[in-house]
Amino acid sequence: MTDPATTDGNDHLRCENIQVNFGGVVACDELSLSVPKGRIVGLIGPNGAGKTTLFNVLTRFQSYDSGHVYYEGRAIDDCKPHHMVHMGMSRTFQNINLFGNQTTLNNIMTGAHSLMGDPFSAMCWLPGARRREREIEERALEIAEMLNLTEELESVVGTLPYGYQKRVELARALASKPSILLLDEPVAGCNEEETAELKDLVLQVNRQLGSSVLLVEHDMSMVMQVCDYIYVINFGANLAAGTPEEVRRNPEVIAAYLGDEEGEL
Amino acid sequence: MLGQQILSGLATGSLYALTAIAVVIVFRNTRTINLAQGDFAMIGAYLGIVFLKDWGLNYYATIFLVVICCTLLGAGVERLIMRPIANSDWLTLFTTTIGIYYILHGLAGWIWGRDTKAFPVTFDPTPIDIGGALISQGHLYNMLWALAIGGALYCFFNFTKQGVAMRAVTDDRDAAFLMGIPVRFIVLLTWGMAGFIAGFVGILIAPIIYVSPEMMDEVLVKGYVAAVFGGLYSIRGAVIGALLIGVAENLAGGYLGSHFKTATAFAMIVALLAVRPQGLIGIQKRREV
Amino acid sequence: MAQETHTPGLMDLDAASRKKRDIINTYKRRFRRHDAIAAAIFFALLFLTPALPGVKGWMVSEASLVVIYVIAAMGISILVGYIGLVSVGHGGFLAIGAYTSALLTKYYAVDLVVGIIAGMLVSAFIGAILALVFLRLSGAFMAIGTLGFAFFVGTVVNNVPIFEGRDGILLPDNVALGMEIGDFGFYYVSIVSLALVTIFVFCIVNSGTGRAFMALRDSENAAMASGVNRLFYRTLAFSISAGITGIAGALNAHIVNYVSAEVYADIWFSVDILMAVVVGGPAILFGPYLGGLFVVMLPFFLEELADFAFILKGVVLILVLRFAQAGVAEVLLRPIQNLRRRKLLEVARGAK
Repeated sequence: MTDPATTDGNDHLRCENIQVNFGGVVACDELSLSVPKGRIVGLIGPNGAGKTTLFNVLTRFQSYDSGHVYYEGRAIDDCKPHHMVHMGMSRTFQNINLFGNQTTLNNIMTGAHSLMGDPFSAMCWLPGARRREREIEERALEIAEMLNLTEELESVVGTLPYGYQKRVELARALASKPSILLLDEPVAGCNEEETAELKDLVLQVNRQLGSSVLLVEHDMSMVMQVCDYIYVINFGANLAAGTPEEVRRNPEVIAAYLGDEEGEL
Repeated sequence: MLGQQILSGLATGSLYALTAIAVVIVFRNTRTINLAQGDFAMIGAYLGIVFLKDWGLNYYATIFLVVICCTLLGAGVERLIMRPIANSDWLTLFTTTIGIYYILHGLAGWIWGRDTKAFPVTFDPTPIDIGGALISQGHLYNMLWALAIGGALYCFFNFTKQGVAMRAVTDDRDAAFLMGIPVRFIVLLTWGMAGFIAGFVGILIAPIIYVSPEMMDEVLVKGYVAAVFGGLYSIRGAVIGALLIGVAENLAGGYLGSHFKTATAFAMIVALLAVRPQGLIGIQKRREV
Repeated sequence: MAQETHTPGLMDLDAASRKKRDIINTYKRRFRRHDAIAAAIFFALLFLTPALPGVKGWMVSEASLVVIYVIAAMGISILVGYIGLVSVGHGGFLAIGAYTSALLTKYYAVDLVVGIIAGMLVSAFIGAILALVFLRLSGAFMAIGTLGFAFFVGTVVNNVPIFEGRDGILLPDNVALGMEIGDFGFYYVSIVSLALVTIFVFCIVNSGTGRAFMALRDSENAAMASGVNRLFYRTLAFSISAGITGIAGALNAHIVNYVSAEVYADIWFSVDILMAVVVGGPAILFGPYLGGLFVVMLPFFLEELADFAFILKGVVLILVLRFAQAGVAEVLLRPIQNLRRRKLLEVARGAK
């Protein structure tokens, strides 16, 4: 596979020369990457490399000093975080962000907010809005089935174990029928079993729903097994890019990870 | 005329400033918007009447006693009411201070009655001439007192161990705790200080606006507005805001009519927040994602 | 595995899950029906009570006053309970509703119903405009901003001539739907308003819009990631809340046929309504009912001891916040809710 950054045209999400400074600290230094349609792309790097910052730039949660973000070829530099879902981009968070004292079903249905339509007819219970509400519920049920959450649909998510919460968050992100899914360290803090499960889920989402996926991850095994293409960044700058095989053999990457806990590349 | 308006504006502003300082230190150390701050001062004013009239003490002894009582009141409120719920969200903390507000209002009305009372010490009504601007002696005293208290607070925060510890708690509560700073005691001290300041405010403002359970409502709102000028965080911003409000409302009162005084403060806050939501000298915390 | 039936690519529900879901939905419908029946009985009783022998006009008026507070509290509960904002200035909206209706009645002799609707609309409109200023602020700043707003409204009604300051505006007898009504008629108007407001709030809370509110309350990040426009929904909630409080204001003007700055320039209203919500329970429909009852009836029973009533209010508020942060109504209804939740959980977790 060639470097997707050069193959324009079917890029789903692309960023060019992103620069983010926090005071004197350069979090992102001229970073570029691209997610082609229907692919799973990984973004890795040692701790503090700027992965999450770049991730938040792409989802527009973070402002940046220069550079551009393109969604399906269109610049989205002026978009707000809540616009992204309506365009088909969905994200999760590194530290779980859920509606803690609501039920799983409610959480997933909230994720489908972009399918709700006009809020005024929704709150007046107009017939069309009620029909859409039932469709949203139906969709939430299907996603729950797919992520094996049916049994916990009526539970308050704040009381669920960590692995479940991770899946609820993924379900929330999937509810909006995203065409691209951005996952920020989905297996952080998960045990091996949960990691394997989530890995399968990501593949399933990609294959079954045809969604593109951008995966920011610390866990090497997950990235190597799942991704079609991997970007490596270090100290806020692009370090290397290529297929998992290429990245694994890249001496610079190995050097960057040497001494790091993930050194066993 | 203009100089005079500004001068007496600064005089009232200095009392707003003291209230605002108390609001700010409590908020930044405990996340509590203290709606009862004004009532500490109100209780102080009533105690002032008791000490002056019923006990026949002189003015300075009264101030001393009132300030001690108010400090104890503030500390007591922290120990008995605020500490058990210290870890709740800010809305709970805020509404709890509404409860305190009710209780203090009710107590004052119960013990001393709802009617307005005149404060026995009235200053010599002959105004003093400062560079062509006339200022009443009461206002002058207030300004001098406020300056003295402000100076004392400045020294406290910069030159004493407790003051520095208090600032440390403000900056990072957890780190301060790990450094061995007795955070609980500092919080107690914070509330005590709010009471301490309120004691002064109560006794200084009483001769100007008469004493009643509601006497502090308006002052408190202006103190809040001033605190918002400093982003509820910066004492310097709060003081500047308070002086600005004092001067602006006095000018508005002088040139547009006295009805516009309260409206001025509100207009200023809306204008400020529309331009700078984080306050004049506010510090905007980076959003954590 | 991949099914191309309903939504392309999504897994279809298998028969067992489908059946389980149907049972859950049956339960949910049943619970909702029970609630509706309870509410219907409750309102039927409210309707019939005045017909009892020995009920006097002043009692009915007192009851109307409770209803007015309940409506106002309902309005603020949308903010405090569902979207997680706070306003210490809703007395301002109460005043706006009251003066709108009063001025229309005085100068155009409009019907009470028209007055109420106008009060609601004007209040909601001003609420929406104010929201654009306040809602950029975080919680603590907003509390102070709204407090300032209440003071501002007080200044305006005190000083702008048309509001006639402390002298107040005296209104003619109430005319609703073309009929002249007394204390009893007014009571019925209030009850109907309350019922409509309750149904409206229920619909909001149980819709996608309500979900968006609660999403913003529980996690702003997740809400934005789900596509909830924070500014829009906050403005919407603030405006709805102001509108409902405006209804209460209009009713409050007509209950005594008199509005004056003496009453509306006071920030007590604002604080009292907020307190009613916090004590009763903000995130539960029944909460404002209890809160309104508490706030109105306490001073009523302790008329001789007004100051003691103050102290008691403060003590109750502090105790509720210390021991029952979700409010009294939540504590009272918790057994029923736990029972229901357990039922649903049982079905959901039951063997496939």
